[in-house]
Amino acid sequence: MNEIALLQNYLIVGGLLFAIGLVGFVTRRNMIVMFIALEMMMQGVAVSLVAWSRFHDNFGGQMLVIMIIAVAACEAAVALSLIVMMVRRSSNLDIAFWQTLREEGQEPTLDVEVPEPDDEHEDWPELTPAGVEPELKPEQIGYRSRV
Amino acid sequence: MTLAQWLAIVAALMGVGLWLLLPRRIAAGRSAGAVLVTAALAVLGSQLVPPGAPGTVVANILFYALAALAVGSAVCAMTFRSPVYCAIWFAMSVLATAGLFLIAGAQFLGVATVVVYAGAIVVMFLFVLMLAQPEGHAFYDRLGFEPLLSSIVAAVLVFMLTLCVLTPGTLPNEAPIDAVKVTADGEAAKPVVLNERHVAAIGQHLFGEHLISVQVIGVLLFVAIVAAAAIATTGKRSEEAQAEEVVS
Repeated sequence: MNEIALLQNYLIVGGLLFAIGLVGFVTRRNMIVMFIALEMMMQGVAVSLVAWSRFHDNFGGQMLVIMIIAVAACEAAVALSLIVMMVRRSSNLDIAFWQTLREEGQEPTLDVEVPEPDDEHEDWPELTPAGVEPELKPEQIGYRSRV
Repeated sequence: MTLAQWLAIVAALMGVGLWLLLPRRIAAGRSAGAVLVTAALAVLGSQLVPPGAPGTVVANILFYALAALAVGSAVCAMTFRSPVYCAIWFAMSVLATAGLFLIAGAQFLGVATVVVYAGAIVVMFLFVLMLAQPEGHAFYDRLGFEPLLSSIVAAVLVFMLTLCVLTPGTLPNEAPIDAVKVTADGEAAKPVVLNERHVAAIGQHLFGEHLISVQVIGVLLFVAIVAAAAIATTGKRSEEAQAEEVVS
């Protein structure tokens, strides 16, 4: 392997992952997607660390990546429990619901115009009805309201 | 054209492509954005030095395929409207990253990444999504905060990082791994990271010189578990208290 080229390429991949994650974290409004963006940034850092570990022929970088994975697991536990808490109050995942916590003098975010949903994902297959519809007990109907 | 001009083209294509792909008020131009981001990655790939040894093709193909998959899936994960697709593309990106770890001689980390990220964290994302957003499409997934400004930031960041890494002289000129090390006995020393017994070596380091870090991580995990349980149950208690207030 051409070690210097390997290091350069890995650093570039790591930097791209970090930049894309940064954009996603700043732009997206869904709390889950923001969290995915955070994890993406940590992946970028991990790629860079593994490349440096290989380059210097030293396990220090890989040890640091193990620590990053453990910290990411901790962060996932705490952040997802926080998200579940916030969803209980606001009943959606929108981060703009909490914009009353913004800095003083900051303009509020107002949704003046919401784009229509694009129907590219709405195109679910329709199954041909076959046979006789089974009779459901009343408790089954109540239990499976969405299916 | 010089390297800086090529990288400026890459950054501009990347920025415009991301801006077109991100959620905006006008939802048009997403296929054009995908084309621009692909073009940016292709131009960037043409500026890279192939990492494989001279004469080997397979290593280069593997690296380029995995790198393109990792970055492309990352773009998809940040720009898709449905958060379920975002989580699945993130899992794809993590799998490609695990492949990159394998190429770089970090087998244990590759497996650990697949198990922890793709196996546990993505499934947890999907569970929370199922609990919080069961009806699917929400209006806030089709809107974003300042996509133009953040795309400009991404373009500047990509330009600066790639320029710093690719300019000759900023990185060391010679890799320590290339130099043949000699032990005290006069024999060539074995490489450390590219050890045949990789997991044994990594375990020796982890529970040898990094033992205190392992202990600290253990404490951190314990604190995180307690904190998660405390946050979740506190929320429930306050909800019950509110319900009691309403009743009384």
